[in-house]
Amino acid sequence: MRKNESGNEQDHQISEMRLNRRRCSSRLQGYAWGIAAPFICTLMDWPLRHVLGPASILMTYLLGVFLVASRYGRGASIIASLLSAPVFAFYFAHPIFSFAINDLENIIGLGVMIVVANVTSDFLERVHLQAEISKQRENRANALYRLSQALSDAHNQQSVATIAVSHIYDDFGALSVLLFPDPEFHLQYPSDMPLGHSLRGVDLKIAQQTYQQHTAKQTSESTSSIAYYSLEHSQIIQGVLAIKSPAGSDLTNPKLVTFFDTFLNLISQTLERLSLTEQANNANLQAETESLRNALLSAISHDLRTPLTRIIGAGTALVENNEDFSAEEKLDFNRVILDEAQRMSELTSKMLDMARLTAGEIILHQEWNALEEIVGSALNRLEKNLGTRPIRTLLPDHLPLLWIDAVLVEQVLTNLIENAIKYTPAGGPIDISAELLAGKLAITVSDYGRGIPQGMEEKVFDKFYRLESESHQGGVGLGLTLCRAIIEAHGGTIHTTNQYGKGASFIINLPIHEPPELNCLEGMTE
Amino acid sequence: MTDEVKPLILVIEDDPQTRRLLKTNLCNRGWRVIEAENGKNGLSLVKSDSPDLVILDLGLPDIDGISVTKRLRQLSDLPVLVLSARSQEQNKIMALDAGADDYLTKPFSTGELHARLQALLRRVMRTMNNMEIFQTGELTVELARRKVFIAGNEVHITPIEYRLLSILVRHAGLVVTHRQLLKEVWGGEHIHDQHYLRVYMGQLRHKLEINPARPRYLRTEVGVGYRLVDDGDEES
Repeated sequence: MRKNESGNEQDHQISEMRLNRRRCSSRLQGYAWGIAAPFICTLMDWPLRHVLGPASILMTYLLGVFLVASRYGRGASIIASLLSAPVFAFYFAHPIFSFAINDLENIIGLGVMIVVANVTSDFLERVHLQAEISKQRENRANALYRLSQALSDAHNQQSVATIAVSHIYDDFGALSVLLFPDPEFHLQYPSDMPLGHSLRGVDLKIAQQTYQQHTAKQTSESTSSIAYYSLEHSQIIQGVLAIKSPAGSDLTNPKLVTFFDTFLNLISQTLERLSLTEQANNANLQAETESLRNALLSAISHDLRTPLTRIIGAGTALVENNEDFSAEEKLDFNRVILDEAQRMSELTSKMLDMARLTAGEIILHQEWNALEEIVGSALNRLEKNLGTRPIRTLLPDHLPLLWIDAVLVEQVLTNLIENAIKYTPAGGPIDISAELLAGKLAITVSDYGRGIPQGMEEKVFDKFYRLESESHQGGVGLGLTLCRAIIEAHGGTIHTTNQYGKGASFIINLPIHEPPELNCLEGMTE
Repeated sequence: MTDEVKPLILVIEDDPQTRRLLKTNLCNRGWRVIEAENGKNGLSLVKSDSPDLVILDLGLPDIDGISVTKRLRQLSDLPVLVLSARSQEQNKIMALDAGADDYLTKPFSTGELHARLQALLRRVMRTMNNMEIFQTGELTVELARRKVFIAGNEVHITPIEYRLLSILVRHAGLVVTHRQLLKEVWGGEHIHDQHYLRVYMGQLRHKLEINPARPRYLRTEVGVGYRLVDDGDEES
């Protein structure tokens, strides 16, 4: 669509150039006709000079002048009317073949003709001018419309610069470049020059002055002049536009100034809109980080301090009053220390994972992996926690390999199984199943507990959200957030439902990719 | 291992508390322990005292764990167990590929530590005794006849599957990295073709395991490699 548009603009430009050239040649042509018209009239009237009276002959001259005026404008018509007078006097007014006129009627007639010719051509000229002005207005309105349309799609400074430069080139025929400040408020050339009609050779020092002093500046060199305009809107300067006027035209021309100012205004406004959006986004991010930090701090202080208190309690008891305790009591204290330390270890590793994954984009180390192995590894990792729970794994044979980061997906499964263990009574079964669907693999982890309370299906994936019943559990409310981040990084989805006859089910959908070929491996070895 | 000569273990670890704990623990189990607080001292102790086994922390102050592993391998074939923190996942795999025999992620329990050490020492014994039959649970592998049995019934496996299994048997109880397996079975040019491994390990699991999604013998260490469970480890 954009291509089309620029194509139209090019056509438009070419036609304007043609019009200019035609205007110039038509002016010469007009003068020629202005000279020729009286003689043509004379030639036509000469054979009829005895039939027609001088008034009728004057009328034909008037017609000639009028036609020239309507076709070629004022200049040509004045030539025609002024030339008509002596020609008429010479050929038709008594005495013939002399410029003298002694008939009063002829003098008056001639006078009237000249006045009428002038008034008409004046009037026609004005109509022409009006038409031209309104056409120009329309062109400018169109140009501004196209610019604002293009700018409304811009989503960053770079795209604004590209749009502005190409529109300035199309509508003013001028090369230009937008300069933006770096974080230290020094104007910089854009790092990439995307367009052929970008202006090069800008004096950054002058641009910087323009930027700091809010004024337009102009440099004049022998061949060309570059003008610098600050892009300013609501007192904030977004950048500087450097523009090189094309030869023969001047942007300070009062006819162009308003148009050009509107152009600049549109660009400045767009830049301001973008910078405000960015500020708002940054503020949001900061607020989110802040609340994340607070939540994390409170979670850490609660969840790490509780086990620490118990460890220190048991430890000091053992060290300070060692003799007072029986062997059995000592063993008890040691167990407390071990259990709590293990809980802390689990917690810290989960928080470290979360910190690592939320610190930046998740970087996936994707490889071809078998789901079966990942399920097996996750179950193996949780062996101690699972105890004697019946685990049903329903994985169809010959599942395709998945293009995934095995370590992260294993973590997702581990988190889901761990949740199932936490929220269902000991001994409750857990089902892990997979189903091949069109273009994706659905993996389901279900338990037989109470399920997720209605309306909370999405909330459980929020950062630091915990179901109320969990408050005594040692979770931070990050596990499911982590799961969702990991699965979405793989281009998959994760959601939860309560299945009839079961408790909560977590369903992961992972995309299936075209698996690689195995090149007759079995033959290679023997 | 015989009762008269207790195995000598070299602990290379910069944290004195961890070192102390390891020493107490290992001495209690009847092992002799020598310590080094950095890589340089560790390497010179390997030369001078020729220990039976090395426990190597990956986060040493002077030389990084991978370089220490490489130099250890140049010096001798002695078993190396690396200790890694969670943030050193990639280092751990690099150390294993560089020749370390197994790893433990901190924090670990003494039970896990002893199981790993036993498996490592067993590996040494096996190479010395030139093992002919490997047995764990109901799985029996007759290395001389290249035959595999589950509960006494022969299982037919393909040559590639057998090769994979025999490598895992040779390192029974220890982790074998993807790279090691790919290199030994398919050759150096295939070390990135992980999908070969997935397919053949899958076939092997389906032949040897009752529930391949919860294997008893062929354990997957996600992101690292595979481990053939040796029953002896579980008991200790």
